[in-house]
Amino acid sequence: MPPRPPHDRHLPSSAISRFVDTARIEALLAPYLPAPQERAFVVRCVLGEGPAHHRGANYVLLSLLGLVLERVAHGDREALDLGASQEVPMRLPPHLARPDDAPSYPLPLPSAPLELLARKGTRDFEAMVDCLTDGPPQHALANVAMVTLLADLLARLPESPEE
Amino acid sequence: MSVELPQGLAQAFSVAAGELGMCCAAWLYVKDVARFAGDAGVSGLRDALGRSFPVLDAVAEKWLAGSREPHTDPGAVLGALAGTRQLVVVGLESEFLDALIPKLEGIRLALLRSSPFEVDWERVLSNYAGRVELVELERFQSWAGPRSTLLTFAYGVHGAGTHVMPAWLRVTGDDVRTQFRSLVAWDVLRAPMFVYPRWLVEVDAATFTELV
Repeated sequence: MPPRPPHDRHLPSSAISRFVDTARIEALLAPYLPAPQERAFVVRCVLGEGPAHHRGANYVLLSLLGLVLERVAHGDREALDLGASQEVPMRLPPHLARPDDAPSYPLPLPSAPLELLARKGTRDFEAMVDCLTDGPPQHALANVAMVTLLADLLARLPESPEE
Repeated sequence: MSVELPQGLAQAFSVAAGELGMCCAAWLYVKDVARFAGDAGVSGLRDALGRSFPVLDAVAEKWLAGSREPHTDPGAVLGALAGTRQLVVVGLESEFLDALIPKLEGIRLALLRSSPFEVDWERVLSNYAGRVELVELERFQSWAGPRSTLLTFAYGVHGAGTHVMPAWLRVTGDDVRTQFRSLVAWDVLRAPMFVYPRWLVEVDAATFTELV
């Protein structure tokens, strides 16, 4: 049996902030967010805001995806065309909603990976988009960044193992 | 040599601080007093009002150390605002905004209607010839977006901290921090305060995306 996690003891948040390397994630997302200010905004939302354990978890998962991408892409990090995408809306208070001009985050959600799971336009597809983009930005944008990296990976891999 | 200052200075300074900003009002008062009563007058002003108005105290100290003008060059702020399309200003420092606003072509501007002082906001706005809108605390998030910035004025940096108007804390809750691309502080005082910084609150400088 694997050892049980120590539920009664947590590491201090400084231990988390020590391993979170913002520059690494900025570099990882640079092909999808070429404008430095937009990239810094998204990375701040994912690694610099919200509870410390989310920041740490986002860093670990994005870094691991980055390592996989590095092995698959063999150093080629030119931006691929990831195809159609969905906007990631900011969740403003309902009384300030602007249906015709709703602000959204600069990193959109690529549709291609979700289309492997559900046909675009179906209720299932829309529900998947909703699940990935709802909630606080440190969740939503981390989801979107991960799907973006997965989209990049999938675009570089053969469609079947035989190819 | 002691200098006699007119009565009612504190009340008058409150009005000036409300409509010009604490730093700009302080420079105005210090320069005027210095013109008529020299350094002794500035020392007297500091003794009379410094404990009540810590920014005035710090500006008087700077004057007595040889400083003669506030540093209003907006260059560093313009760098921090690159790419911004909507700007909400929290706090007021008129001379600094006068230097900045003419250089913000194409940027929509709002001023948060919030001050610890009595302010005639219509009079304040009239200085900007329709260029600046007023926005309430309840509605400023309608200015959020991926090219939106919140700007406030900071009053001296000391170690990892700085001081800002309390409204900044009301504005930059965890929900708002991820709805504005940049959270910028413009240090208008450029000196630590010597007395207790009443009117202001201390914040960690790292909570801004840029402190210039």
